[in-house]
Amino acid sequence: MAVSVETLPTLESDESVRARRQQRTIGLAIFAALSVGALVAAHDVPDWMDSGIQKWAQDRYKWSVVNRQSSKIFTWVFNPIADVLTWAVENTESLLLALRWPGVVALVGVIGWRTGGMRAAIAGAVALFGVGVIADWDLAMRTLAIMIVAVVIALLIGIPLGILTSRSDRVERVVRVLLDTAQVMPIFVYFSPATLFFGIQFPPAVVVTVIYALPPAVRLTNLGLRQVPVVVNEVGESFGATTLQQLFKVQLPMARRTILLGLNQVIMMAFAVVVLASLLGTGDLGREVLAALQKLEVGKAFAAGLGIVLMAVALDRISTGEKSKRHSRLATKLPTVSSRTAAMIAVAVPVLTVVVARLFDASVFPTSLHYDLATVIDDAVQWVQDNLRKGVPVIGGTQAISDFITMHLLDPLRDFLLWLPWLLVIVLAALAGWLSKGWRLSVTIALCLGLIATMGYDNKTLLWDRAMDTLSQVLVAIFISIAIALPLGMWAGRSDRVERALRPFLDGAQVLPQFVYLLPVVFLFSIGRAAGVVACVIYAVPPCIRLTSLGMREVPFAPREAAISFGATGRQEMRNVQLPLARKAILLGINQTMMMVLATVIIAALIGAGGLGLLAYRATAKAQIDFGLGTAGGLSIVLLAIMLDRLTQAWGTRSDNDRGA
Amino acid sequence: MTSIRRKGRLAIAGVLIASALAACGDDSKSSNGGGGGGTTSGPAITLAVNPWTGSAVNAYVAKAVIEANLGAPVEIIDIDENASWVGLDDGTIDANLEIWPSGHAADYETYITGKKTVVDLGKLGPQAKIGWYVPKFVIDAHPELATWEGFKDPELAKLFATAESGDLGQFTMGDPSYVTYDEQIIQNLGLPLKYVVAGSEAALLTAIDQSIADQKPLLMQFWKPHWKQAKVDLVEVALPPITPECEASLAAADGKYACDYPVDELYKAANAGLAAKNPAVFKVLSALQLTTDQQSEIGSYIDGDGMTPDAAAKKWVDANPDVWKAWLA
Repeated sequence: MAVSVETLPTLESDESVRARRQQRTIGLAIFAALSVGALVAAHDVPDWMDSGIQKWAQDRYKWSVVNRQSSKIFTWVFNPIADVLTWAVENTESLLLALRWPGVVALVGVIGWRTGGMRAAIAGAVALFGVGVIADWDLAMRTLAIMIVAVVIALLIGIPLGILTSRSDRVERVVRVLLDTAQVMPIFVYFSPATLFFGIQFPPAVVVTVIYALPPAVRLTNLGLRQVPVVVNEVGESFGATTLQQLFKVQLPMARRTILLGLNQVIMMAFAVVVLASLLGTGDLGREVLAALQKLEVGKAFAAGLGIVLMAVALDRISTGEKSKRHSRLATKLPTVSSRTAAMIAVAVPVLTVVVARLFDASVFPTSLHYDLATVIDDAVQWVQDNLRKGVPVIGGTQAISDFITMHLLDPLRDFLLWLPWLLVIVLAALAGWLSKGWRLSVTIALCLGLIATMGYDNKTLLWDRAMDTLSQVLVAIFISIAIALPLGMWAGRSDRVERALRPFLDGAQVLPQFVYLLPVVFLFSIGRAAGVVACVIYAVPPCIRLTSLGMREVPFAPREAAISFGATGRQEMRNVQLPLARKAILLGINQTMMMVLATVIIAALIGAGGLGLLAYRATAKAQIDFGLGTAGGLSIVLLAIMLDRLTQAWGTRSDNDRGA
Repeated sequence: MTSIRRKGRLAIAGVLIASALAACGDDSKSSNGGGGGGTTSGPAITLAVNPWTGSAVNAYVAKAVIEANLGAPVEIIDIDENASWVGLDDGTIDANLEIWPSGHAADYETYITGKKTVVDLGKLGPQAKIGWYVPKFVIDAHPELATWEGFKDPELAKLFATAESGDLGQFTMGDPSYVTYDEQIIQNLGLPLKYVVAGSEAALLTAIDQSIADQKPLLMQFWKPHWKQAKVDLVEVALPPITPECEASLAAADGKYACDYPVDELYKAANAGLAAKNPAVFKVLSALQLTTDQQSEIGSYIDGDGMTPDAAAKKWVDANPDVWKAWLA
């Protein structure tokens, strides 16, 4: 079967093959010449490359500090926005509290019922009830209020922006680069400007959350609208519909599913920011996580973190809509109700609940229902620490693994990257880009790395060197993640039982705020880059497993069956049929892995990973002195991310071309 | 199908409106019930609490005293140290009652001496001290490590080696936002140590637990007062006493510092508008002082007995009227 695929290229004429070979020779010659040049040039980035961006950013920061009471841009733009945001969050919060906990749970249930059927209703209500059981209900409602406001704003901006980008390719390109940059930029870089612009507490927290939650809203609206078949548009046109009519009556309804998926992603991204945003003084469940960690109360932090997760799950279930409706066994058993009855039920149930709850003054979530998860978790963590750190047969324990990662993976790679002349690193990376896709990618990569070289110094160390340190951590983390996730993903892709067994771990590790497991990681692996790599791996493995498994499962059954009927063993069939066909999804998984690693490698600075993440953190922690430095560090991470993203994406598309699929 | 869906959406809108109406009926009552309680009126006074126990102790003691005696409601905001300066600057925070001068020289210069939007409310009382620390078991085994000279011996320094530090001993720094001269001290005293940033106070605290569990030596920057000092035995390593040269080097920021850390005199700061907003509160906060012992006593109610900061502060305020009555005079 593989034969038929591979014979395709020979259909090309001999001439074009010769031309291609010639091009390749020329290209290689150019890269060889550039390498020699790179070897001859200075080993380190020369001083004149420093663009002065650090000073520029620091000066802007200083200006804002001095002028935030007097400048018109503050009094006319930022301050009114901040006031509106504060108003919105405070009122949403008091509404949620006034509904009382039974009212909120009932409301979520009813919304779930109308959007996704009985199953969504129960899942949503139970998840939200669970928040009250394991975490502080009032703090949770404050988090929920911030999330609701942020999500609504993200949609209000994101959907129109998505419509705009779906109409123009040029707008799409510009918006995509901006959104990518905004999203990969470490959150620490935003904190100081956000507080200067919008004050403290809710407004900056909402703004920062919106920055991270916006991209999926734009991206999926755009995607949904672009997927509407041309024929449909033409039909609308032929009936004389105006552009607006087309948009609202035809395109948006048809893109509804994809846009709803966007909403779901918006919610997930928003919840991912909650914990750190609490540094700005929101005093919500996120702050509970940080405060507990500050005192090493991992169990307490975990309980609060799980509360956040459950809230995300509740919103997820009721916003995904009809996904599970058709398959729900429950739904078919229930008698169908007319729409009017449904509307009446939907109004009556929450209203009655609220009234009853208020009559009985159920303002506080009953303590008798509270479950002390913290102690259970603390015991489990203690057991892990007592038993896995040392004296494990064969591997020796986590401490030994940590030392191995540092001494045999991280150190050699970092030393190698620093040993190479900086220009040679750029030439080699560009070569990889050229081999993967062509000149354009090659130039993009060279540009990204070249810009990192203009970022200047951290004290006496070049930011370039810090970037190579981070790059070595990223590469090692990706390597380990793939080594773990690919086999597991393949296994899960072929066995339902494995898939089901893995799912809770995958969900948990991905949605749980990273902070919650940072401390156990430190205890097991000690402070340092190895601990950072482990944190990255924990966060990056789930999406990779999930996408690999999904890719394996989406392979049509016909070719697999054919292979087996031709006498292929299970293993042969997997290697020669299923894996190649799932390749695209797997490569997408690797791309996702990389983005997750880059997101975590910054947080990992909080457990000793150093590198660019630590610089970015200083933009928050020492803004008065280091805001410029932190911004430069954050930009370097963005550049690294763009480079790695384009490169891994190129592998995905290349496999398409090669295979002629 | 679509019409059903539309009705469904209408229903949701109905639900929202109805429940909003149901809720708004006595909204004011419920929001008052949630507040601090007592007979308080006037604009709320907002105090910042930074993420450590001492900071919470001061703020909640002030809250208890102000609410009971001056009738102004007090709101507490849990917030990051650096963000609280921005709040002090624009008045969303009225006062922060515990600032460590060593970490905030630039903020003092910008907001207090520069913009004058923030005013210095005077000393809080406790003196803090940053220094080099090791767990006690290290000194028990190697008494010579009680002073910095012990670390000159590469063999002894190597006890602190990790995979990160290689052949050198590892010196661990916690949160990078805290003040540090450690790199300079190591270099200028010629010690075979490598400076490694743990990245956060929590990571540093975890390293302490790990060190004690494994009896694996740890050398770090740490400080007093800190709640961890009461839970584990830590010993401060003697650094060279502060000389005039060191003071000069500090002022010049020339990287030649080679002495012990100076003592930190904790101070209080307020938004410049507080004196006009509520003169009585301004006066009390200016007069407010706690000794290190008083602060640790209240702190132990919180960290040791698991009381809420609110309850811990009230307990102490009830038992020690003579202390805070002096602030009101």
